[in-house]
Amino acid sequence: MLTLLLVLPLAVPAVLALSPPSLSPRRVSSFAAFSLFAYSAWLLLQFDPSTAALQFSEYHRWIDPIGLSYSLGVDGLSLPLIVLTTLLTWVAILCSPLEQNRSKFYYSLIFLATAGMIGALAAQNLLLFFLFYELEIIPFFFLISIWGSGNHQYAAFKFLLYTAVSGVLILVAFFGLAWAGEGGSFDFASLDLSSLGLRTKLILLTLVLVGFGIKVPIIPVHTWQPDVYVAASPAVAMLLGGVLAKLGTYGLVRFGLQLFPETWTLVGPGIAVIGSVSVIYGSMSAIAQKDIKRMVAYSSIGHMGYIIVAAAAGTTLSTLGAVAQMIAHGLILALLFHLVGLVEAKAGTRDLDKLNGLMNPVRGLPLTSALLVLAGMASAGIPGLVGFAAELLVFQGSFPIFPIPTIICILSSGLTAVYFVILINRTCFGRLDNRLAYYPKVTPSEQIPALILTVLIFVLGLQPNLLLRWTEATTTAMVAGLGLPPQETIALTAASPPLAPTAPPPISTPPDA
Amino acid sequence: MIAVATTPQLPPSQHQFAEIIHRLEAGGAMLPDSPENLKQIIGIYKAYAVPMDFYWRDLLYIAERVFLNPLPFFKYFLPQEYLDRPNSYAGDQSELRVWRGGGGAHPELLEFMAKGETGKPWPKLLHHLWHDRVNMEFAEACMRAMLWHQNMGGGFNEFLDSDTYRANADRAIKAYFKTNPLMLGLYKLFPDMFLEQVKQLSYYANLGLFWEVMAPVFFEMSDLYDEGKITTVPEAMDFLYNGIFAVAARPIYHHVYIAGECYEIIPKSQGFTWLHEAALPYVEAVFYRTAPFRGTKSYNAQAGQIPDRQEEFHYGILYADVFPVGSAGIPPTLLMQDMLHFLPPYLVEYYRAYCRGEDDMLIQLGISFQRSMYCVTSAVIQALRQATCYPLDDPDPDHLRANRRFFEQQLDRFKRPEARLMDIQNPNYR
Repeated sequence: MLTLLLVLPLAVPAVLALSPPSLSPRRVSSFAAFSLFAYSAWLLLQFDPSTAALQFSEYHRWIDPIGLSYSLGVDGLSLPLIVLTTLLTWVAILCSPLEQNRSKFYYSLIFLATAGMIGALAAQNLLLFFLFYELEIIPFFFLISIWGSGNHQYAAFKFLLYTAVSGVLILVAFFGLAWAGEGGSFDFASLDLSSLGLRTKLILLTLVLVGFGIKVPIIPVHTWQPDVYVAASPAVAMLLGGVLAKLGTYGLVRFGLQLFPETWTLVGPGIAVIGSVSVIYGSMSAIAQKDIKRMVAYSSIGHMGYIIVAAAAGTTLSTLGAVAQMIAHGLILALLFHLVGLVEAKAGTRDLDKLNGLMNPVRGLPLTSALLVLAGMASAGIPGLVGFAAELLVFQGSFPIFPIPTIICILSSGLTAVYFVILINRTCFGRLDNRLAYYPKVTPSEQIPALILTVLIFVLGLQPNLLLRWTEATTTAMVAGLGLPPQETIALTAASPPLAPTAPPPISTPPDA
Repeated sequence: MIAVATTPQLPPSQHQFAEIIHRLEAGGAMLPDSPENLKQIIGIYKAYAVPMDFYWRDLLYIAERVFLNPLPFFKYFLPQEYLDRPNSYAGDQSELRVWRGGGGAHPELLEFMAKGETGKPWPKLLHHLWHDRVNMEFAEACMRAMLWHQNMGGGFNEFLDSDTYRANADRAIKAYFKTNPLMLGLYKLFPDMFLEQVKQLSYYANLGLFWEVMAPVFFEMSDLYDEGKITTVPEAMDFLYNGIFAVAARPIYHHVYIAGECYEIIPKSQGFTWLHEAALPYVEAVFYRTAPFRGTKSYNAQAGQIPDRQEEFHYGILYADVFPVGSAGIPPTLLMQDMLHFLPPYLVEYYRAYCRGEDDMLIQLGISFQRSMYCVTSAVIQALRQATCYPLDDPDPDHLRANRRFFEQQLDRFKRPEARLMDIQNPNYR
């Protein structure tokens, strides 16, 4: 069943290549992306959320001598992210320009990147994961370098270099995991790290942390991110921030928290500090920006920091919050990039000092401005929107373990409000400048992606259970492996002796094969 | 027709707006001459004239009949008598026929009043409550601008403080409230309050009489354009210029009709004339000054808080920023909404081709209105030059220098950064 999620996006480039000129590549791609999303949503409905076990598993031997197998499966961590990936792929295609140059190549690359991301999320073999993890780098490189703007060539190579380093570190870690462990296999189910010493585990975990940390990105390996997000087109930035960055946090949780539970607990405080520094740095940098796209890019660094702090805390609530924040941030960031892209496309600038009065009902971009206000509110964690539900879980779950980093995060959510008020006040309100205000109107087709994301932000904000129910069993099982006492116990009986660590549960149920 | 010297006898002006000054000296307008500009201004004159036909009738109705009604709920419900009232400058009965059309209310206006924008044959009250009607609030805002700024030239405003006026108003007030002891008691207690109201009503009459002239002027210009007899912006300005002098002596008065008797609060015999007591104060108060957006600044006119210096008032249509809806001194959106209903088809097509088409037609026509008012102001400036300086074809260089000084002084008023004079020079300002 999961194979279809890979086959469909991989088949689209072939279909596009062979399609007659009369067939619009955009239409074909939109239809294919929607089908992919619909299928992933159907899988989500078939998913049994009550169990942490892998579901829809597939296993085929592939290249035995190197330990590569075609092993797929999803749990409550990966399936929601897959659905997010397919959704944002569809939305990214919808918000791509109607007249895209080299459109067949463009849409093909988007589908290749999507296949890579879905494959990485569904892979149950380290090498297979790595294969897909590396696969998405190439299409993104081309998407940035060909269809980017500004300093896009520089940004594309910076992206390539950083993610290549990330890949190398992860590959080394994976080799270490497979060969230093007892099983000697790359299949997740066969990984056995019980014989590894603390030092080895620390080295491997550090490689995993830095490798995936680059992808997130976290401080201080973040410098590629603002350049790349700004240079990429809005649709590509949406995928980069909404999905690709989530591969980083997914990797941290899957290969850090889940594989190294005891070591994770040990390094948790350090990770939390890095996370909270990321949060503060991202927020402060966002406040200092004049370019609204760069402001959104820095805000992303801040919000990804919440996920790092929550994952570091490793409580049931915080881990659940981390996953929820991945989804929430994906939706909000995608909306922000789309809206900022619309503003740039219509107003011809992203400069805070030039934009003004976009809320003007006749000559401005009133609906876009209104949605920008809403996206800012969602990002700042205003109740009723998805950002609030996720951030509340993060804060509530992390506070008992790391009160100071959590307080920093809470304060920083106030800073989020500060930079979004700056952004909205400067761009949307005030007087529309006569000399600039000949903006073309935003067409309904350009509004549709924003409206789709807005509806989801509202629905998941008002009914967070729809977001959390798929993940709860998986994150609870993961946290059990950390050996931490239940969060409520920590909060109520802080003076009681810590519970003895328990052995982590198997990372996944063995495949049927 | 403005006579123009064929050869320039003065060195080029060094003024910031030298090009425009040279154009004025050559008998042109502040608005550049182009077919596009002509199409915009004439189309807008026509679209403006139809609601103006309502404005002047209702202004006179309020001044003459509604008068001091303490609950004037129906002051915008024009009785048939005022719809049929023949315009003094249109129709067969007129002594000076400016427009070749009929003297009664314009047919497009009557059609709109019957069905409104919604096109529904609802009762008049429903149209009114739905705000599907002519926006008299715009006319009242212009009237208030004239009242507010006072002393815009002429002797009209001084007369409102005279004993004669007070006595005339007193007679009318007492007659109007003859059967209302409560209001008479209030008048006894607060005589100035009622007197102030009557002064305002005199400005209603003033503006009504001013627009009674302008509506047929604009209708005629539109017809001449349709017939191909006005082909350039200077020709349009000439028509206005000639019109100004033709009707300059029209009496400005305020009569009130109470119980079938006419009370002459400002009698015609007072000698107030259209050009000095209505046209020039109107242009000064409405085109240049008006008032800041309410809530941003406030002045108490009665307490003498309004400074005389024009530079403190730059909210008129010549300066207004039409883009942010409703933020200019006069409520331009109300007028723009009124004009939208009566745009000639060629102008609708024109607006559809630019910017956001129908979606921002209000703004596009607002900017055309700005252009057209620069043309009107040009005519007024040329008329003032004719009245106070010398002909443009005067052979005496000293006289030409005096003319130039006059033009430069006039254009100094547009040195303010928010003035739209330079914007309208650009055809892409829409």
